[in-house]
Amino acid sequence: MSVKGKIASFITGEDKENVPVIDDNIAIKVEHLTMEFKVTKDKIDTLKEYVIRTLKKNKKEKQKIRVLDDITFNVYKGDRMGILGFNGAGKSTLLKILAGIYEPTYGNITINGKVAPLLELGAGFDKNYTGKNNIYLNGAFLSMEEEFINEKYDEILEFSELGEYINYPVKNYSSGMRAKLGFSIATLVNPDILIIDEILSVGDIKFRKKSSDKIRSMMKDGVTVLLVSHSIGQIRDICDKCIWIENGHLVMEGEVNEVCDAYVKSAKSDKK
Amino acid sequence: MFDTLSEKKFLLKQLVKRDLTSKYKDSVLGILWSFLNPLLIMLVFTAIFSMLFGRQIENYPVYFLSGRVIYDFYNAATKGAMRSIKSNANLLKKIYVPKYMFSVSAICYEFINFLISFVILFGVMLITGASFHLTTIFAIIPIIFLVFLIFGIGLILAVCNTYFSDIGHLYNVFTLILMYASALFYPIEIVPASVQVIFTLNPVYSAITCFRETVVYGVMPNVGTLAYLATFSIAALGIGILLFSIYEKKLALEI
Repeated sequence: MSVKGKIASFITGEDKENVPVIDDNIAIKVEHLTMEFKVTKDKIDTLKEYVIRTLKKNKKEKQKIRVLDDITFNVYKGDRMGILGFNGAGKSTLLKILAGIYEPTYGNITINGKVAPLLELGAGFDKNYTGKNNIYLNGAFLSMEEEFINEKYDEILEFSELGEYINYPVKNYSSGMRAKLGFSIATLVNPDILIIDEILSVGDIKFRKKSSDKIRSMMKDGVTVLLVSHSIGQIRDICDKCIWIENGHLVMEGEVNEVCDAYVKSAKSDKK
Repeated sequence: MFDTLSEKKFLLKQLVKRDLTSKYKDSVLGILWSFLNPLLIMLVFTAIFSMLFGRQIENYPVYFLSGRVIYDFYNAATKGAMRSIKSNANLLKKIYVPKYMFSVSAICYEFINFLISFVILFGVMLITGASFHLTTIFAIIPIIFLVFLIFGIGLILAVCNTYFSDIGHLYNVFTLILMYASALFYPIEIVPASVQVIFTLNPVYSAITCFRETVVYGVMPNVGTLAYLATFSIAALGIGILLFSIYEKKLALEI
């Protein structure tokens, strides 16, 4: 991007350049996505150390770790895509890139529609705030508008099942209560794309049913879902397509049962 | 995400509110401290230095406070912006929020404190029998440039502080030098003419001078001083925005 474009996009907050025209049926297009993290054994994070190391010519070479390597896939509108992979495969990094938290090192991502990332519930909570104030604060972090929250406030309160506790500070909540509140806020918007990272297992059994019912009703409205889960059963249940990532590479892409079977088989053979 | 201005405005409002409530949480006097703090500091300085410089400076409390409010705003707002990215690291790693919003909110929060300190300044002017001038309206001009300067420096510091965590210590020393080079509590005349050049190069001192001219002395600000302040602050703002926009997307990986 040109410098001028950068300043313009910084001020307006939107990238006007680099918006390729894509097929209307595609919700997410990921092309040759590569993500590298720079790591050093001892990170230089002070200016003092930086100057000393430079003078002594004792700077450790930075190592690059490729967390995702040349990943390409499409998610079509209405698809329910599961993402499988062992710990450290790069699933969460992929979701964070799709949610806009990280910028990919190489490759392109095109997203068509409004995204609701359910990555970490209640990440923006202020623990000294009451539940009520946190609804507004967290709503602001999720780019909602004030009138919208005013309108939906009762709905959130009812869904979260917090009742009277909404007027108590969040620091006094149990982790289940916190997760319930977070879930109620995050699913409030009517998104086109829902990105879910291992959060369908929050709360007690009653709330778990309620939250998966909520996701299902959203799916009925045609929302596109991207789901990371270690529960194969859940993926088979919710998704119709699946990708399998291992060590940053895309191993397999296809119909959900096919990929799940192959994944389970590989997990079993690894154990031996 | 965050495409419309009203979404950003609401976020800004919530962030400033969060800063305000967390600062005065558990304190009995609450927001009253924003009034008390500058007032008490002024009393201390007046008690100590009006004996030394009282003869050279007419109405010492007003002279001191008029400089102090400007310097305090610069000092607190740039430091707030400097820390804004790092102190919200946990959040920025989990949710997408335009990162500059945190720097902007830190500065807005200090701007509110700045406005509160005006009440103190005008109150002290009233009590000490200082005369009010119509030219006070023109104080808005140096204040606008001061805000530009703060945004520019604040954004530069926010990026640097993410990469080097000891920038804060270095900047503390720098702002101390800046305070002495702002003639807050003594008259500039006591400084040798050769050293006075340093003062004229200090943009914060330029802002203080213009502010004192319009509010305290009732004259229009010196065009040369104002032009220097304007040039410096617009340049700083430009560099700040450019630097921040280049590094904004990399910051999530560094924190």
